[in-house]
Amino acid sequence: MIEVRNLVKDYYGHVAVNNLSFTVNPGEIVGFLGPNGAGKSTTMNVITGYISASSGQAIVNGYDIFTEPEKAKKSIGYLPEQPPLYPDMKVVEYLMFVADLKKVKKSERRKMVKDIMELTKVSDVSGRLIKHLSKGYKQRVGLAGAIVGYPEILILDEPTVGLDPNQIIEIRQLIKSLSTKHTILLSSHIMQEVSAVCDKIIIINNGELVAYDTPANIAKVMEESRELIVTVKGDVNCSKNVINNIEGIREFRCESASEMLCTYYIKVEEEYDIREQIFFEMARVNCPVIEMRQHEVSLEEIFLSLTHGGSNQNNRRNNMKRVMEVEE
Amino acid sequence: MFALYKKELKAYFTSMIGPVFLAILLVIIGIYFFVVNMLNMIADFSVALNAITFLVILIIPIITMRILAEENKQKTDQLLLTSPVSVGKIVAGKYLALLTLYAIDMVIICAYPMIMAKFGDAEIARSYSAILGFFLMGAAYIAIGMFISSLTESQVIAAVVSFIVMIFTYIMTSITNLLPTDHLSVWIVMGVVTIFVAIIAHGMMHNKIATGIIFVFGEAAFATIYFVKPELYDGLIGNIAGWFSVVDRYKDFSIGIMNITSLVYYISIVFVFLFLTIMRIKKKRWS
Repeated sequence: MIEVRNLVKDYYGHVAVNNLSFTVNPGEIVGFLGPNGAGKSTTMNVITGYISASSGQAIVNGYDIFTEPEKAKKSIGYLPEQPPLYPDMKVVEYLMFVADLKKVKKSERRKMVKDIMELTKVSDVSGRLIKHLSKGYKQRVGLAGAIVGYPEILILDEPTVGLDPNQIIEIRQLIKSLSTKHTILLSSHIMQEVSAVCDKIIIINNGELVAYDTPANIAKVMEESRELIVTVKGDVNCSKNVINNIEGIREFRCESASEMLCTYYIKVEEEYDIREQIFFEMARVNCPVIEMRQHEVSLEEIFLSLTHGGSNQNNRRNNMKRVMEVEE
Repeated sequence: MFALYKKELKAYFTSMIGPVFLAILLVIIGIYFFVVNMLNMIADFSVALNAITFLVILIIPIITMRILAEENKQKTDQLLLTSPVSVGKIVAGKYLALLTLYAIDMVIICAYPMIMAKFGDAEIARSYSAILGFFLMGAAYIAIGMFISSLTESQVIAAVVSFIVMIFTYIMTSITNLLPTDHLSVWIVMGVVTIFVAIIAHGMMHNKIATGIIFVFGEAAFATIYFVKPELYDGLIGNIAGWFSVVDRYKDFSIGIMNITSLVYYISIVFVFLFLTIMRIKKKRWS
């Protein structure tokens, strides 16, 4: 269990984390989401005791990381942004060292390291020097290092960075399987990744908590800001008329490249799927659809909508407009 | 602590640094032993060691430069500082690894007086006293080098700065002989030192008021001493410089005097710099 209370980290005037509070319950996987420089790594560094906080508390497994650091650190496995590897060590040597450092009993060390190497699929490079490994393998060795000692809490800073798609899926599955025994806090700036693995999502921006919710609820917000982009050839007035008559459109705007070509940005109410309808209606009035695609909202846009908006619908719509302006 | 000790010692022997360090030190001591003791037939090993105290300064930065700078650079300090090991134990483990490396050579050169003794009367006691002094001096320099290594991410900077600082401690006594000793000059020197202390304090605390207090009180204290009790300034610079003259203390050992103050001096240098290293690492967390 991780408990963060009113955490502030101030780098001489630059506030990296501002009054952040959240709780991660035992057995949960919580995703820590935010754009670059939002304070994700800083928060993780504070929780793991690598850096101190300007004020506030971080309690790990019942121990305050500032007053009882050794006890608290015992239950943490940490994979920082840049895996802390010694390039001149062999993989197995490194993991044995980490096990020694984490005070794993001598008799259990060899077996534990072997198991973990199999779990993270680095057994085939166990005898190689770390400096000769590729980025993906380094990342996995770093992850293996975090798992050594089977700490109750795993804190993973962007665990899938630098991996190829297959490995990403493997690592995700690994993280999911670990969650049966461990509490996991992982950071990412990829929305899909977090929603695929995590039970809960924390979104922070500029060091402040923006949202702390389940992926389903956050996806709802995403859904609302999803756009349908349709490019239509033919008379602009005619096609505009068609769009106006379709049910389920929240709002739309159009951009004409020429008199005969127009691109519509349409916001659709959640429960409607108007793509087929648009196709047939446009065909009926002889305005062929050149292009139609669903625009997935990027994380940055969600941040904008979450950071500037309240919970009511109108407010959010206003924000959507602002998002559009930003896009343009 | 022992995890780190083992890891560091291993690291020195998987890379070139350890063997090269051991070899250079042994080769040069060997040459001096051969020339001074064998060719010139002086049955006193301390004479050979006296001639090469400067060598310690040249080669200790080779092993101390990477000890913490490398961790800072590779970000592996993140692993160490987030593992359930206290900073003190990290520093102690690393220091002991360095000390062991140095001690290996010291153990080997312990054989030299014995070799001489085999061929006639040798100054056994004085030779071993010199070796002990040589070891303690190295131990002190290793602590200093380690502290400097903790200040930077660059091994080159660590080596160069260690080198400069160590040369400074070497020539300290000669410098102090050149400095004026009248009360006014001592006051001026102490005033300048206070300014530097205030600047360093400001760099560490980022607090104008605290720095101001240090500066004002420091200057006031030295001015008061100058006007009220200037006798205190007699030989002050020489004494202060003496604290920093690490090599000077070795001279006692080399003439066969087991001076407790020198022994305590070296041990305190070791502990002061290990303490500073620990403080430095802890302080990094707070900035």
